[in-house]
Amino acid sequence: MKKLAVLVAVVAIFAFLSVPTARAAEPIKIGAAFALSGSIAVYGEGFKKCIDLAVEEINAKGGIKGRKIEIVYEDNKSNPKDCVTAVRKLITVDKVPVIFGPAGSSNFMATAPVAQENKVVLMSAQGAAVGLTKAGDYIFRVFPSDTLQGPHLAKLAISKGYKKVPVMYINNDWGLGLKNAFVDAYKKMGGTVTDLIAYDEKKTDYRTELLRASKGAPPAIVNLTYINEGAVQFKQAFEMGIKTQWLCGSAARAPKMVELAGKAAEGVMGTYPSVPQNTKQYQAFKDTYKKKYGDDKIPIFGDYNYDMVYVAARAIERGGTTADGIRKALPAAAKGFKGVTGDKTFDDERSPKFAEYGIWIVKDGKIEDYRK
Amino acid sequence: MDSISYYLQTVLNGILAGCIYALFAMGLTLIYGVLNFVNFAHGELIMWGAYFLFLFMAEPFGLPLYVAVFPALALTGCLGLAMDYSVFRPIRRANRLTLLIAAMGLSVFLRNAAQFFWGAEVRTYGFEVMAGTQFFGLYLTTQQFAIIGVTILCVIAVYLLFFRSRLGKSMRALSDNLDLARISGIDTKRAIRAAWVISAVLAAIGGILLALDTNLHPEMGIANLIKAFAATLIGGVGNLWGALLGGLLIGLAENIGVLFISPGYKDGIAFVIMVLILLARPYVIIGERSD
Repeated sequence: MKKLAVLVAVVAIFAFLSVPTARAAEPIKIGAAFALSGSIAVYGEGFKKCIDLAVEEINAKGGIKGRKIEIVYEDNKSNPKDCVTAVRKLITVDKVPVIFGPAGSSNFMATAPVAQENKVVLMSAQGAAVGLTKAGDYIFRVFPSDTLQGPHLAKLAISKGYKKVPVMYINNDWGLGLKNAFVDAYKKMGGTVTDLIAYDEKKTDYRTELLRASKGAPPAIVNLTYINEGAVQFKQAFEMGIKTQWLCGSAARAPKMVELAGKAAEGVMGTYPSVPQNTKQYQAFKDTYKKKYGDDKIPIFGDYNYDMVYVAARAIERGGTTADGIRKALPAAAKGFKGVTGDKTFDDERSPKFAEYGIWIVKDGKIEDYRK
Repeated sequence: MDSISYYLQTVLNGILAGCIYALFAMGLTLIYGVLNFVNFAHGELIMWGAYFLFLFMAEPFGLPLYVAVFPALALTGCLGLAMDYSVFRPIRRANRLTLLIAAMGLSVFLRNAAQFFWGAEVRTYGFEVMAGTQFFGLYLTTQQFAIIGVTILCVIAVYLLFFRSRLGKSMRALSDNLDLARISGIDTKRAIRAAWVISAVLAAIGGILLALDTNLHPEMGIANLIKAFAATLIGGVGNLWGALLGGLLIGLAENIGVLFISPGYKDGIAFVIMVLILLARPYVIIGERSD
């Protein structure tokens, strides 16, 4: 009898807690499945900061039609399986109409079919992999596709006189996509790829891969790598006495990478979708970030996440709070919208139509734009 | 780099990786031999050992490396004892699968605890990266030199302990037959405690070396556990020299194999070896002991 009473009490408590409190203006919930733990938590934590900043700004101006935005964060633990779990939870339990998707193109692409199936809008602010939005018309990104980056990286290599390079790349959707885009463009420009070395992410020892890449002492090695992997690789290459010009993509361009690699990162170069930082808008963004968080080092892809919030907010304003409404309103909401990262107009594949690419280089322990 | 030094460097890399795997495997096989189960939380002893050193080298302790190592090893030993006392001792007589699952749960707990204290980000001890010294066309950094040196020291220490001391004899008796050892008056509790401390200290040393060579993060233990496990299987349960050899073998197989197949499959090599061994000796995880 006592057990039954306890059971009834527990059920009653749950029932009581799950009854939504009726309030005048209920917040609009947006889901976010970020890496808040695990190997790429450095990304997720940075995104969260910039998203919170944007949400704070929008809410301070009265929110969207009087309703404040509330972000429901779910930790995706930096692996595709838990990304899917996080997204499913947001869809089925929190019933959000739009989700900000995880970093890491493989992680994102694992969740895209789930969102598409359930007709929930999924947005990415940092997925560069070719074909990221293939899963369907509910998938959008505000970050340019690597089909645009490959040729720029190839141009960088050729323009610096490197006609023969080995290519190392992370063995996942992002690495493969960029590798293919680069190799195609590079070959067309007359370059020769001397070796293709795929490697796993999240490893601590890349010495054999580096040894293989450095065979024949090539003057340059293309390395399509992430932050942690890149740092380990540059450090180990330095220890092994490998002297070469490293050419990277956008994913390694992070202060954290330089922090971990120390002086081994000196001279590393790469391409990235460049965002002119000397505009008034970007400076204002930096200032508000600094005011809230105390330093002005914008976390990698943080600016894109910030824009993503605004694009989503505009879509909600136009299309309402249903997933279908948001989906229909997104192209119009983004068209001509100039965020801190530039014009966010979508193309036919729901990726940004416009992107400029710049060159970054690590100089004196800092990431700078490379001026020829 | 000409051909010979290219291959030699690979062999050297294999030995370095193998030394670390060997330290992990020796600790793992010790508990396996004495207490007859696979301690899936062994990876966390590795990881916590490395983090303890980080703790003592950072503020407010700020100790230099050579001093901070001692409290770090001591604390990890205590952690091993605590693990046994709180989780494994109460279920000492349970079947192997129960112990295995309890260890898995412990592993999750410890990983999250580390993340709670130090965050999920990758960290380093903060030593300046330095170019290796070159000899005979091979590159070796001071830290890598230390890896080989420390491993040799550990192997010697383990040998002396196990084959030249009474405590070692007790542990060997225990691993043969727990009940018989008890009946013959061997202080089994003391031997078990010693086994845990040694296992934890070996794990911690391996973890510290690994962190010195690469970096620290909460998943660093479990990522390497599978290789330690494969090495343990190769060497045979409870066989310390087997574990040493198994570790070296896996390190070499991984690094040399990658010269011929795509480095994307590097982790797969240890898995394949492990699967082959399990196919040949399936009762290793669930049933009776092998040899």
